[in-house]
Amino acid sequence: MARGYKYFEAIEKHAGLLGFFTAIMVSLGGLSEITPLFVHAATVEAPANVKPYDPLRLAGKDIYVREGCYLCHTQMIRALRAETERYGHYSVAEESVYDRPQLWGSKRTGPDLARVGGKYSDEWQRLHLLDPRKVVPESNMPSYPWLEHESIDARDIMARMRTLRRMGDPYSDEDIAAAPAALEGKTALDALVAYLQGLGTRFSANPAASLETEDAP
Amino acid sequence: MSTFWSAWVIGLTVFNLGLTFFLFVWGQRVEIPTLADGTSGHTWAHGALREGVRRLPLWWAAISGSMFVIGAIYLVLYPGFGANPGILGWTAHRELHEDMQANLGKLDPLLESFRQVPVEELAGNPAATRMGQRLFIDNCAACHGREGHGNQLLGAPDLMDKDWLYGGAGEAIMASIVNGRSGTMPPWESLGDAAVKNLAQYVLSLSGQPHDAAAATAGKAQFAICSACHGADGTGNQALGAPNLTDGIWLYGGTPEAIERSIRRGRSGRMPPWRDRLGDDNTRVIAAWIYSQANR
Repeated sequence: MARGYKYFEAIEKHAGLLGFFTAIMVSLGGLSEITPLFVHAATVEAPANVKPYDPLRLAGKDIYVREGCYLCHTQMIRALRAETERYGHYSVAEESVYDRPQLWGSKRTGPDLARVGGKYSDEWQRLHLLDPRKVVPESNMPSYPWLEHESIDARDIMARMRTLRRMGDPYSDEDIAAAPAALEGKTALDALVAYLQGLGTRFSANPAASLETEDAP
Repeated sequence: MSTFWSAWVIGLTVFNLGLTFFLFVWGQRVEIPTLADGTSGHTWAHGALREGVRRLPLWWAAISGSMFVIGAIYLVLYPGFGANPGILGWTAHRELHEDMQANLGKLDPLLESFRQVPVEELAGNPAATRMGQRLFIDNCAACHGREGHGNQLLGAPDLMDKDWLYGGAGEAIMASIVNGRSGTMPPWESLGDAAVKNLAQYVLSLSGQPHDAAAATAGKAQFAICSACHGADGTGNQALGAPNLTDGIWLYGGTPEAIERSIRRGRSGRMPPWRDRLGDDNTRVIAAWIYSQANR
């Protein structure tokens, strides 16, 4: 078996070769776990009650991304009882078909927001975004006072809708043409509140809802 | 998972495990050429340090070898080998389902006993109120505060002051939670600035707060429009959720400025419906906790 040594020697003495074979071995796991999901993701269809974002919510979603809300809040209820008890039915892929990028997040400084829509009143969301401590004294969330003074550029949102349509979101010409009217006089705060209030309406937020749905693959 | 992707995953898994197992076995058998002194000939520090050649320790080889066995057992028991579901039939959703059923099995007898009694009686049951308090903090505290003392910025009522907008009976509290509440007072700016100020002074006088007596008298004449909801004597109307103005308890603040603001621009307080989110059982224990705290 002594002759095998030359292969080990070659790998040990050539860093490039070592890197090459390491890369191959490391990528095997990714190839088997990630690539099938890429193909699966393309086949996920939106259920009837998941609609593309209307202009105001679309603007709100972009503000959610811009302000980095996803850095502290997830939108991903895992299939664990501790989470479904608190937040409702676990998240499923078809709920995120119109999220580009998806905003599942991974860091949970604040509560999960996947089904926060309708949990509080609009006024609560408004006050809370402007100064969280006015409603939750112990909160460590930053205040976002500038949102109230920022208007939404309808042309920008229309351009975003056209881009999303190219990527397959079913916006009609009328939907896009109606955007300026829907955004008239709205602030960034209105948009973000509208976005939050629309989150997670696909399934009930009642913990028991997880018991009623079929065991999806 | 389609046959192709199943085969893809199986192929990669077998290739990976096969190759690493081969290297694991072969690597230990390869003979490393040695010099006469038993070292590999690699030296450092001008020959002061020389590389010896020893076999892998048995404990290391045993632990590494067991990884292959554990990996194989995992693939037999759990999903992972292509589309093979594993002999345990485990899925995350099924585990959640079982967890929830198990929890429900323990909880349901207790909840069933809660269902048998009115909220007022349930309020005396520590098991129910402990559960209710936990749920209250998680769901209701964002507006009503952890202790239930409300928030005047939102018009979220203090639940501990015995002044009920929609009634303080157990059933009324449950109805408020289940259906939510929407309290709207229209704006009365059209009455003019002087009238608004006079009305505010009259409202202050109703609960015996410091006020301008002349302005209050002038305001009293205009209170007729307010009495449709707040009652002729200002004691409110629980059917409408119109607050009692005579008890010195304020939903949005009792300063002259806050009262004038309420009259001028109206108020609109909304509590979302919780039917879907909480369900009857959770609502019942929350109502029991509120009732127990409010009537201490």
